Amino acid sequence: MNLDLEPLRIWLHSTGISWIMTHTKWAWAASETLHFMGLTLLIGTVGLFDLRLLGLAKGVSPAALHRLIPWGIGGFIVNVLTGFCFLAGTPDQYLYNNAFRLKVVFLFLAGINVLVFYSAVFRRVRILGPGANTPLAAKIIACTSLALWIGVISCGRMLTFFRPLPGTHH
Amino acid sequence: MRELQYGWPPAGNGHRVVDFPKLMNPFFAWLEQTGLSVWVRESPSLWAFPTVLIFHAVGMGFLAGANVAIDLRLLGVAARLQLAPMERFFPVLWFGLWVNVVSGVLLLIAYPTKALTNPVFYVKLSCIALALVVLRQIRIQVFRDPALDRQPLPRRSKMLAATSILLWAGAITAGRLLAYTYTRLMVNE
Repeated sequence: MNLDLEPLRIWLHSTGISWIMTHTKWAWAASETLHFMGLTLLIGTVGLFDLRLLGLAKGVSPAALHRLIPWGIGGFIVNVLTGFCFLAGTPDQYLYNNAFRLKVVFLFLAGINVLVFYSAVFRRVRILGPGANTPLAAKIIACTSLALWIGVISCGRMLTFFRPLPGTHH
Repeated sequence: MRELQYGWPPAGNGHRVVDFPKLMNPFFAWLEQTGLSVWVRESPSLWAFPTVLIFHAVGMGFLAGANVAIDLRLLGVAARLQLAPMERFFPVLWFGLWVNVVSGVLLLIAYPTKALTNPVFYVKLSCIALALVVLRQIRIQVFRDPALDRQPLPRRSKMLAATSILLWAGAITAGRLLAYTYTRLMVNE
């Protein structure tokens, strides 16, 4: 598949966000800091919920623990916004970067995993109280979630080592 | 005109200036050419520097993330969530802490001059040390309280939780800024 990413790259590069990200001293560092804080909120809430589904801290009620998830979603939204800032800032460094492409694949799969969880399993999980065992389907989804989010973080940290050389992507 | 002196003890009458960073140079030089330092820093393998960075980020997510989740609960989020069984999540925090101690020491061995000559690095370490002290206080004052989950949390617990969140935010901010604030990458630069 040979998708032409040039129009997207040119548009991203033309945005005001792109200019701010590359022409100020603080924007990139501030966005990175927020991106790491968002990651922390996501892993701290969704990660703990996944671990409970897998059987850790069984005394914790899954439904009650789920009340922390909106903070993880908040962290994820922060990361989508700051992530877009990086992408707009130097689009060629991401669009033609294999670590970034794998990160997008993992994000997509994590999204599907979330949809499967809420459409097929959450009904059975939200009624569980403290001490209850979770269905096997919930455990599989939790394990997948942990693996995919760790994969997303790993790809993010790998970005700098897969940077395309300027001009090599045409 | 006298040059501005940087060092400890401060320049003054009868004091010889000892330049602390300069004093450390032989140590940095030795450490930077050890096999482990060279491997982490210069190996083209993805298992070297990139993998250490990955562990450091994932460990951060579990350590600071789980701690902040507990802090949020103390501040009143998910109020129906019982705190006592949450103690079973503490091993997740210790796991994240040890992953980050090991990966952090490896990063420090790879670039000792870069980290140890940057004041921001000491800000980061101080934030982490204080966050762990606050976490210890949360364990002692909140989780060891016999009235846990039976009475509303005292104001003091909420103060601890808010302080904890601020310290982790500080540690993450300082950690991120390390990449922007260092003045020397290696001992001979």
